[in-house]
Amino acid sequence: MSYPLEVHNLYYSYPDGKGDILKGINLKAEEGEILAIVGLSGSGKSTLCYCLSGIIPHIFGGEMRGEVLIYGESTGKLKVPEIATRLGIVFQDPDTQLFSPTVEDEIAFGPENLCIDREEIGKRIDAALMQVRMEEFRFGSPNHFSGGQKQLIALASVLSLKPDILIFDEVMSQIDTEGRRAIKEIIKELKSAGKTVIMVEHDWGNLDIADRVLLLKDGKFEAFSGTL
Amino acid sequence: MLKTAVNGMDPRTKLVIVLCLSTLGVFIQDIYMLTGVLLISGVLSTAFGSPLFSVVKKMRRILGLFVAIAVVQSIFAPSGESLLSIGGFTLITGGGFMKGISMVLRMSIVLVSATIMSTSNSREIIQGLVQWRIPYEIAFMVSVGIRFLPTLSEEMKNVVTAIQLRGVDLDKIPYKQRFKIYSCLVMPVVSGAMIKSRELSTAMETRAFRAYPKRTSYMILSMKPRDYATIIMSLIAGVVVLLCYYRPF
Repeated sequence: MSYPLEVHNLYYSYPDGKGDILKGINLKAEEGEILAIVGLSGSGKSTLCYCLSGIIPHIFGGEMRGEVLIYGESTGKLKVPEIATRLGIVFQDPDTQLFSPTVEDEIAFGPENLCIDREEIGKRIDAALMQVRMEEFRFGSPNHFSGGQKQLIALASVLSLKPDILIFDEVMSQIDTEGRRAIKEIIKELKSAGKTVIMVEHDWGNLDIADRVLLLKDGKFEAFSGTL
Repeated sequence: MLKTAVNGMDPRTKLVIVLCLSTLGVFIQDIYMLTGVLLISGVLSTAFGSPLFSVVKKMRRILGLFVAIAVVQSIFAPSGESLLSIGGFTLITGGGFMKGISMVLRMSIVLVSATIMSTSNSREIIQGLVQWRIPYEIAFMVSVGIRFLPTLSEEMKNVVTAIQLRGVDLDKIPYKQRFKIYSCLVMPVVSGAMIKSRELSTAMETRAFRAYPKRTSYMILSMKPRDYATIIMSLIAGVVVLLCYYRPF
């Protein structure tokens, strides 16, 4: 049986030669599961997200050993557009993810890159906006939105690629309580729709929606007992 | 009436108008003609609904630079009568002063005409360039660069505020020291900009940017007959003005 996301004995070191930041990570994420990863700053959470999403080895340098499999296929062998349609990632800072003048343009960006036809792009924009409940902001400028709204648009722009796996890299760290509530609701809906969700978190208050919590400490997973 | 005529024009048409006005500004030396071109730029910019007055307000900040350019021009290109001399050294001449003025007019034309482009959003401009067969990577590069200018300026302001909060009153220290402090500020701003640009490019690539040599566009621009007419008229007017200037009848 192939899992949506599997990691086998993953090691990674950045090109600065300071040694391995990930030291033998093993992981299996199931369909429809919300898996939370917690850890102190510098424990390698974001690096792990980069490895899971194929940013490492395709975009960033460094030495990666071991394997990350998306539905049984290695991210090293998959091309970036192939990964983008299976796995989407939303980052911590919404300001560096949004660059288009309108919400519609932002959401259309991914499907346009995949050469999807206009009619289908239109449908995907409608669906993504409906999923994040931002339909009335379609022609608005993300620059004028709150942090939570920006993060929802960043999520919609990833959802328009229809990935089955979603990674949230501390997406709730820069937003207010209302924004957090909205994002958590949407994550629960994504789970109900059968999506696999990996959420990297530093705020334990957001772990209530997780099915499983893993602690990343010194580059390795440990059982999470409620303390770091 | 002009406002109605230019409403909703294609960004490529605006680009041609801006190019024509800027070209005239660069090639013409005559002050009266330059003033005329600047007036036309201002009228067109207003008709397109650009934020001309706020741009002019912002330009007041660089007024000192304009005056400095005019003085430097006047010193290094002296001709005609002496207007201002100190101890036998002629500082400003009539010809030099006129050259300084024409330089200021020229820069104003470029800036004022460029405000016309601000009436189209960056996505429309990208699409216009792409439909003109400019590679989409280059079009996006330009657009993203423009998008991040305010972010950079905000970052610079934050760093300056952080310095001032530590008790350094930049307005009260000598220029030499102030320059030294500003040069130290450049480093964190540049490194911050590099981190942001890396994050942005990562976000773009995870959404399959440059996955294929071509990409589809949800937005399609179509030129209307009035766009073609405006482009032709702008080009003809530009050529005629240049011909009149270089080969007067």
